[in-house]
Amino acid sequence: MKKYRVVGQDVEKVDGRALVTGQPVFTDDFSLPGMLYGKILRSPYAHALIKEINASEAEKLKGVEAVFTYKNVPRKAYTTAGQGYPEPSPYDSFIFDKKVRFVGDRVAAVFAESLSIAEEALSLIKVEYEELPAILDPEDALKDGAPVIHDEPEIQGAHDPSRNIVSHVDLEIGDVDQALRDSDFVVEGIWETQYAQHCPMEAHIAIAYLDERGKLVIRSSTQVPFHARRILSFLLGIPISKIRVIKPRIGGGFGAKQEVLIEDLVALATLKTKRPARLELTREEEFVSSRTMHPMKVKVRLGADKEGMLKAIEMDILSNTGAYGAHGPTVFFNAGSKTLPLYNKAENVRFTGNVVYTNLPVAGAYRGYGATEGYFALECAIDELARKMGIDPLILRQKNHIRPGETSPIFKKLGEGREGVPQTVESCGLEECIENGRELFEWEKKRSLPREVAPGIYRGYGMAIMMQGSAIPLVDMASATIKMNEDGSFLLLVGATDLGTGSDTILAQIACEEIGIPVKNITVYSSDTDFTPFDKGAYASSTTYLSGEAVRKAARKVKEQILTVAHILLGASGDLVIEDGLVKEVGTGKTLTLEEIGLRSFYMADQRQIQATASHVSEVSPPPFAAHFVEVEVDTRTGKITPILYVAAVDCGVAVNPQLTRGQIIGSIVNGLGFALSEGLVFNTRGMPLNPNFLDYKVLSSLDIPEIEVILVETHEPSGPFGAKSVAEICINGPLPAVANAVYDALGIQLKKAPFTAESVLRLLGKI
Amino acid sequence: MRDFKYFRPRTLKEALSILTQERAKVLAGGTDLLVKMKDGLLRPESVMDISFLEELKFIREEEGMVTIGALATHSMLERSPIINTKAPHLAEASRSIGSPQIRNVATIGGNIVNASPAGDSLPPLYTLEAELLLESEKGSRIVAIEEFFTGPGQSIIEPHELLTAIRFKAPRGELLTFFQKLGQRKALAISKVSVAFLATCAADKKFLRKVRIALGAVAPTVIRAREVESFLENGSINEEMVDLAAKLCSEEARPISDIRSTLVYRKKVTGELLKRGLSQFIEGVIS
Repeated sequence: MKKYRVVGQDVEKVDGRALVTGQPVFTDDFSLPGMLYGKILRSPYAHALIKEINASEAEKLKGVEAVFTYKNVPRKAYTTAGQGYPEPSPYDSFIFDKKVRFVGDRVAAVFAESLSIAEEALSLIKVEYEELPAILDPEDALKDGAPVIHDEPEIQGAHDPSRNIVSHVDLEIGDVDQALRDSDFVVEGIWETQYAQHCPMEAHIAIAYLDERGKLVIRSSTQVPFHARRILSFLLGIPISKIRVIKPRIGGGFGAKQEVLIEDLVALATLKTKRPARLELTREEEFVSSRTMHPMKVKVRLGADKEGMLKAIEMDILSNTGAYGAHGPTVFFNAGSKTLPLYNKAENVRFTGNVVYTNLPVAGAYRGYGATEGYFALECAIDELARKMGIDPLILRQKNHIRPGETSPIFKKLGEGREGVPQTVESCGLEECIENGRELFEWEKKRSLPREVAPGIYRGYGMAIMMQGSAIPLVDMASATIKMNEDGSFLLLVGATDLGTGSDTILAQIACEEIGIPVKNITVYSSDTDFTPFDKGAYASSTTYLSGEAVRKAARKVKEQILTVAHILLGASGDLVIEDGLVKEVGTGKTLTLEEIGLRSFYMADQRQIQATASHVSEVSPPPFAAHFVEVEVDTRTGKITPILYVAAVDCGVAVNPQLTRGQIIGSIVNGLGFALSEGLVFNTRGMPLNPNFLDYKVLSSLDIPEIEVILVETHEPSGPFGAKSVAEICINGPLPAVANAVYDALGIQLKKAPFTAESVLRLLGKI
Repeated sequence: MRDFKYFRPRTLKEALSILTQERAKVLAGGTDLLVKMKDGLLRPESVMDISFLEELKFIREEEGMVTIGALATHSMLERSPIINTKAPHLAEASRSIGSPQIRNVATIGGNIVNASPAGDSLPPLYTLEAELLLESEKGSRIVAIEEFFTGPGQSIIEPHELLTAIRFKAPRGELLTFFQKLGQRKALAISKVSVAFLATCAADKKFLRKVRIALGAVAPTVIRAREVESFLENGSINEEMVDLAAKLCSEEARPISDIRSTLVYRKKVTGELLKRGLSQFIEGVIS
């Protein structure tokens, strides 16, 4: 593998110093004179009609500048999902509607001189509701005579709103029923995931103002500034040329900010009052009214022959998208498309299911994007199959997983809520991931130890393998601009959206590697729809892979421009290279500084700005791969599961910045362990969340996290920048099945419903 | 949070006078009060901040009586040599509360007056049969901790009264203590169940003498497990006794189901926590 100078190095985060010294980098570190503060009135009912809404008292309150209800805003069906155009999510949302569809749905918004005045004004809005029967269980959504949640005539893009179905798939490759009949071993089960929330440190926040040209400027904590601009233009009926969206530093998103959730309201307030307007969700709103993971019931059936070769895989899903269908179809498709190709030896595959509306919080994009739910079922079923056959689950996986140069028909059949794109897997280090992980974890040795380590205390050892994708092929586009200053320094302008992921640093490394300069010589700007070129935004594990390749292409063009000038200046005819910011003629040792080139280009001869813009669309979505191993301890007296050791071997192609790569891997494992052990919204019988706060919704603390060992299994992906793929999401898929498999190994109980609480363990043990 | 009057007395005397006049809510560490105010569960007209009253920040032992000022923080308790020797389970409980940041400001007085059945410092104080000193401008009274609480969040303290100190007789002789709790995670977790245990044992270390057991989060207030206490008193600790004690203990618990756990789980685990704690003594001091 080629040695790189900047790529592959643990370069310090380019924004690290600003963050740790508390520089004003976030959306809310910015205040404008005369700024108004917004608050949203939320529905107390899971399903109701607004018979009457009277805001006149609120409007009269001193300090209130604007009140919005369904009566005074445009009525246009749209989707809040920040996806490419046309969005695969249904148009089933309105700024405000006469109907509320979950506890926490929008009813009205107030903008006032202060937050406390806005809060007081909310209490003065009189609303008369007519409560409707609600659907609080996704199973009920499909029943005959179920209430219809979306009966509005404007709805578009949902499969069958009259039956609460957002999306439906019935896909079969080969003959699954026949293959299952012919199989020597068949297993089946249903695995269920919960309502989990992203819990970014920074809640959704947006500030709008009018600039001196009368342009609407929105500073927002968004993962998708360009999609936000496009959706706002459509929704508010103002041209794109009159909207500018700025993404400052973001305090985490994990998918929750791949949505346009509050920008429309600050825009309305600013357009109406001509004053700056600010709106920030509270933590409770973040839990209840922003977005969550899609709770799914995933049924899996597997069939295998005597040799342990998979013959058939069937996956049937009931996905609960909540009151609105943002990301509903695509998350569902991904539950199959990111899991089924992993076991491409099975020639008969069926993927079926429904995405349904319920009167519960709205699910959306969440790191893993459906694959997490799919892998929980698939990887637990694989373990069950191995037990039934009496073989090591590691060996069963080795026999059946995809290898380099292979493909799966699923790639073509399942895409973004529609057909996908066929591809052959070029880089695949899964075999090494399993091998290296197995060795470090001491898989066979550990599994030969007695499980009871002290009276009532059992240890168990489990594993899971997984893949994800890198960007959405033939849909996602990214672009980048690089400019050189006369002192030989550079500016990198990207629409790509660093939200704490480290992508500004990664993209700087890619640009610098290509040009031949150190990272300190480049400044990265992301993202501003008026000043940086288009990028679809931060989602689908794509910034390193897709935006990175756009950056690399732009850097290549800039380098060519530099070398053209250098050839003239050096009078050289031979090969020139740029190393550490110095142009060198190979063989002669003649050198030239970039400053000399910059000064000449700006002021002396052949005058021009050295700069280039490049765009990139990928024809493939190369999967990263991983093998996870976990050791857990279970106290059978209290039911408590404690993870002891976690080993993750990951193939993300070339790791552009190994330290940041490890950060993503550890972060996503901790995120996934939260799903496995403690996280989950709980509702009462009226659809009201009971724990929308950090006191009662338990994200794991640092004391709950096991020792995590990361092994980077580097491969070289030919379609990625310097061989890179992606790593942002993949490892969130491991903890649910690996922990469940480890607990089975310890105690012989099957945890099929997340989170695996102490109560559920004792119940399965028959102790309570 | 809406506006309120804010008082910051410089002396205890001044504080008691403000309480008589203002019916102010008392702010000590603020880790319960401010959360409730932020959530709109409490909307006091006035708040009296006593966090500057140095005279209530102490832990001392005099003539076999340990006295803790109401403003002693959990950090002070977990580090205090007096508490670590005279009531190690109280130190242990204090150590398990919240996070270091919370323990640095949250006070034992606040933990008591907040009156949560899941308050972690309470079960050890029950086993110590602590007494609470309630002072007001008119006078003072001493209340046994068990008499203080009337329900979740409810106690007999009057609005003009201030809890100023907690005291208990330092247990004498060989001590066996533990504090066990279960939460949804290892830190910053409200207890699903907690068990505090205090026993003195005979000089020959053969038998338990006085046994005091208190259970947290399994009833409207912290409760004593008196049946288990008398079962264990004057006995020795062996596996059979421990199993029976655990069973009895589960029966004495009267928990409910809520957001953190279920009735059946809490009942079961109350006994298991007692067992887990007692098991460490089987081959320990008592033989």
